[in-house]
Amino acid sequence: MTGLTPVILASTGSPAATHQGAWWMALIPFLPLLSCVLCGLVACVRPIRSTKLPAWITVVSLGVSFALMLATYGQQREGWASGASVTTAWEWIHLSWGHEPGQTLIANFGFYMDGLSGLWMLFVTGLGTLIALYASEYMAHDKGLGYCRFFAAFSLFVFSMACLVMGDNLILLYLGWEGVGLCSYLLIGYFYKKPSAVAAAKKAFIMNRIGDLGLALGVMLTFFHFGTVQYAELFPLVQPHIDSLKAGRVEDIPLLVQAIPVLLMIGAFGKSAQLPLYVWLPDAMEGPTPVSALIHAATMVTAGVYLIARTMPLFLVSEWALPVVAWVGALTALLAATIGMAQFDIKRIMAYSTVSQLGYMFAGLAFLSSTGAAFHVFTHAFFKATLFLCCGAVMHGFAGQLDLRRLSGVMFMRGWLIVGVAMLVGCLNLSGFPFTAGFFSKDMILAEAFVTPGYQLLGWILILTAGLTAYYTFRVFFRVFVGPRLFEPGDEVHADDDHGHADHAHDGHAPAGDGHSAEPPTPQPHDADHSFHPHPPGWAINTVLALLAVLSLAAAGAYFIEQDRHGWVGSMVHDSTAAQVSIGEGEHAVHAAAFRHDLTHEEHAHATLLGMNPHDVMYFVSAIVGVIGILIAAALHGPKGIGGLMIGSRTEAARSRADELLPRLGPIPRWAQHKWFVDEFYEFLIRRPLYVASCIFHLIDALLVDGLVNLFGWLPRRMGKSARRAQSGVLHQYAGQMAGGLVIVLFIVLLLTA
Amino acid sequence: MSELVLLAQSGFPAPMGGLTLAHYLFVSAAMFVLGVIGFLTRRNLIIMFLCTEMMFQAAGLALIAFSRFWLNQTGQTFVIFVITIAAAEAALALALVVLLFRKRESLSADEWSEMSG
Amino acid sequence: MGEIIHPFLLYAGIAVGGIGVAASLPRRRVSPQLLGGLLGAIGLGMVLLGFTLRAADRTPDQMPSIYFYVFALIALGAGLRVITNRRPVYAALYFILTILASAGMYILLSATFMAFALIIVYAGAILITYLFVIMLATQAPSEEETDSLTPYDAEAREPFFAAATGFALLAVLSTMVVSGVRGLPRDGIATPPANELASLPRRVERALRAAGTIEPEEQLVIGSSGLALVDAQARTARVGIPADGSFTSIRDVGLPEDLAVRNVESLAFDFLNRHPGTIEIAGVILLMAMLGAVVLSRRQVELDEELKRQQARPLGSEEMA
Repeated sequence: MTGLTPVILASTGSPAATHQGAWWMALIPFLPLLSCVLCGLVACVRPIRSTKLPAWITVVSLGVSFALMLATYGQQREGWASGASVTTAWEWIHLSWGHEPGQTLIANFGFYMDGLSGLWMLFVTGLGTLIALYASEYMAHDKGLGYCRFFAAFSLFVFSMACLVMGDNLILLYLGWEGVGLCSYLLIGYFYKKPSAVAAAKKAFIMNRIGDLGLALGVMLTFFHFGTVQYAELFPLVQPHIDSLKAGRVEDIPLLVQAIPVLLMIGAFGKSAQLPLYVWLPDAMEGPTPVSALIHAATMVTAGVYLIARTMPLFLVSEWALPVVAWVGALTALLAATIGMAQFDIKRIMAYSTVSQLGYMFAGLAFLSSTGAAFHVFTHAFFKATLFLCCGAVMHGFAGQLDLRRLSGVMFMRGWLIVGVAMLVGCLNLSGFPFTAGFFSKDMILAEAFVTPGYQLLGWILILTAGLTAYYTFRVFFRVFVGPRLFEPGDEVHADDDHGHADHAHDGHAPAGDGHSAEPPTPQPHDADHSFHPHPPGWAINTVLALLAVLSLAAAGAYFIEQDRHGWVGSMVHDSTAAQVSIGEGEHAVHAAAFRHDLTHEEHAHATLLGMNPHDVMYFVSAIVGVIGILIAAALHGPKGIGGLMIGSRTEAARSRADELLPRLGPIPRWAQHKWFVDEFYEFLIRRPLYVASCIFHLIDALLVDGLVNLFGWLPRRMGKSARRAQSGVLHQYAGQMAGGLVIVLFIVLLLTA
Repeated sequence: MSELVLLAQSGFPAPMGGLTLAHYLFVSAAMFVLGVIGFLTRRNLIIMFLCTEMMFQAAGLALIAFSRFWLNQTGQTFVIFVITIAAAEAALALALVVLLFRKRESLSADEWSEMSG
Repeated sequence: MGEIIHPFLLYAGIAVGGIGVAASLPRRRVSPQLLGGLLGAIGLGMVLLGFTLRAADRTPDQMPSIYFYVFALIALGAGLRVITNRRPVYAALYFILTILASAGMYILLSATFMAFALIIVYAGAILITYLFVIMLATQAPSEEETDSLTPYDAEAREPFFAAATGFALLAVLSTMVVSGVRGLPRDGIATPPANELASLPRRVERALRAAGTIEPEEQLVIGSSGLALVDAQARTARVGIPADGSFTSIRDVGLPEDLAVRNVESLAFDFLNRHPGTIEIAGVILLMAMLGAVVLSRRQVELDEELKRQQARPLGSEEMA
């Protein structure tokens, strides 16, 4: 801290007040970075390259990070109530071009720890450790350079995520933001020999660039207007605007300030796969499953939620930002759910459910329920990781098979019980079955929708989406995990498979040459496939799955701790910069009244759902909706009776009663299966015109620019070509030219002088 | 009407037998032009050099005529120079011709048109 | 222009001459050399006659000098033969004729020394060198070949283009000659005649004695500048009897009529008094040319290694002995 810019400290008790954190807090991000470097070094040493060393390095470093995080929590939890703790590792950027405020840019490698970052870091490091453990077995078939690369990128991801979450300024957040984008790119494109994986990686990267541009502009605008990017200085500067908002003087807030959250929001949409920019996330499932679980379900995609929660004071003062966030979130949730209903690839279904659940979180933020959003992030992280890892285990065991029409009764096969139970737990959570963690967190958001004035419609959309979610979740469960025990292996056999397929090892699930077609598959009895037996998951996968399933259920407990502060997550969020808004109805009223002058005070003070208090009635409404969804799934896809749980014909496994309903729905299911043609629409709307424009520009470049350049080359060459004949080396020509020239010169002299 | 023309009209200082400077200058110019034409038309290197000698000769004639016209000896002094240069040129040029003939067994100037250094 | 020659006569003569020259240049099939030569002579003769007619208008009493026309005819005719003859040897011989005719014109122009120098240097030295080189550089004709004409000598190259260019040049030059060039100062070129007789006291004295104008004991008075006191304008000289370093009974006497500075003397005075550096430069040029000619025409003597060793061994054995 230099004396150039006075540090504006907020009044005591404000979340912006900071105090010095412990030095070892800085180890939390740097241990994964060390692990990344070590993995790279392991890759350089030939004898140990093809061992599982990188995995253990990563697991241990992430585990130590998690332990340090727990220690930080234990030591500083009380302190967060009075303000964040900051540990500055070193001075990173310090530019000064004047002595006025706003002419000094300070961005330290400092780590800002309060309730919000603490919550995030706890599940990032915790889940990171578990998933690294899972990956140590999952990726084992790829031991060698690829294994090192995987864990190096994995560690780098955790480092970047830690920078993003723990950074004490927006620039460090931006560094982490780009870092996680890079790691996401590297890990989606992990199977870089596979064209679809490369395309998916590029798609993710480019889509994220669009969002990152918004974030970068937002950060620049923040610095431009407030003269600082450090949270500790920034939020006190926002406070006057919030005060004028509370006082009803909306016109005092400059438009520039209102533009900042809009730009930040675009960044959040890109990273968290919201409506205009969501298409990269389903394709990101090309990456290895642990990556899908950690990055594309549990942690990275929640960075957008974190960003909005962290800069919530900025969002509060904007007239448009939060309504846009609400609508985008709700519509994304609905759209992704409808697409998820019609997919057959179970990993893809999970990806769409992630997009959908992220929509819930954004809606929760927009309903001024940072607590609800954060709680949903928290519970979602566990159950979605569980779901993905279960899908990964299935994929691992059935040679890359992910089509739900080709798998059935997996739970009752030998060695698959833990996977099945974990999957059931995950599905119950995701569908919001009563008393699961997902149930409580989703309710919190749904209830806020009805509390916040003007968002009732969105509330109903989200309730409908909850029903759809329950349906498609259990569609997967009923078709894949129960029913007759039948399967058809995928086209990929792991190198460590003990069935003599070592020579047939592939990197990941290679593109389908034989099995995957658009037509419904012709069912084959599994005994016809004599050479393949599914290999059930090993101890690492089973341990992790069991642990995660338990944690998914246990996350519900967080709701009951510190009930007076909306649960444990609520109390964590309350002790952070997102705190001001997660209080209750009064805030909603103030915020809404400030921007919607037509509402009377009675309307928002007495927001009701079906004539009752929304917070109370929502438990019943969402429970009923969830159960209805599960029952519909059971009716359409479930086994016949109790006996049907384990026995049945192959045809029943491949087909379902839903198929008979499909023709009556017209083309809608087909459209949903084709993801509502959004990709094609983007292709048509953006890629085609860009391609045409680039062709035109290429033509202009080739004809005009190159033509001009070539002309400048061609002209002297042409001139030289015509003048070259004069230099023939024939003496007589030279003499003739001389004589002719003499005649001309003398003639001119004569004309001039005579 | 320039001074020179007036001088030319007045003729040479006697005794010039009714001749004017223009007579000699015209003969000189005609000889020069014959040299030029010969240089342009003949292919034999030796004849081409002979033509240059003829051009020298034309210049010398004009200088002598001017010398007589101005009644001083500077023109004749210059002719000494011209002859010197002509002799030097003849020596060098003929040496070159001999050298070239040894290489190609031909005196045609067209043989040496490839402009190689 | 009209005062010197009628323009039509000038340009018509040049055009006719040009056609004649173009016609007489050697061609592969037919070259009307005689006709061409006649046309050329007629054309150029027309121009010269035009000059003469106008000159005769101004000075009717002077008869034109027939020698000039003879020499001009010989010089230009031989020049035409130089460029039209197919055989290099004959061309060189015709060039000698041109030189001789030019020397004649030099004599007409009172440049007697230069005329003979020209004959000696050109006809005697340079042209002989040419003839030697022509003979050196000609392939010996084979037995069955009676005509040793080389193909490149047999045919002129672009005769009409060359003649057109050349006679355009002639037209421009002639126009410049007859119409003059504006702004040439007369006095800037003319130099006052040098009093060269003052530098030749012995010759003046001898002429005076031979004419009996002065007494045997009288001598030319030498002025303080070291020159004899001869007045070339008034044609008088101051003479006196030398006594003890000075002159007594000094008087001016008239110079004889036939006493004049000869051409070679005045050329020598001009050469050595007014252009003393030129003779040095001319000498250096000639030396350089000689060196160049020697270097260029020297034949490379290639001794092979075997021969060198053979010559080296006797020397070595002598030393051993």
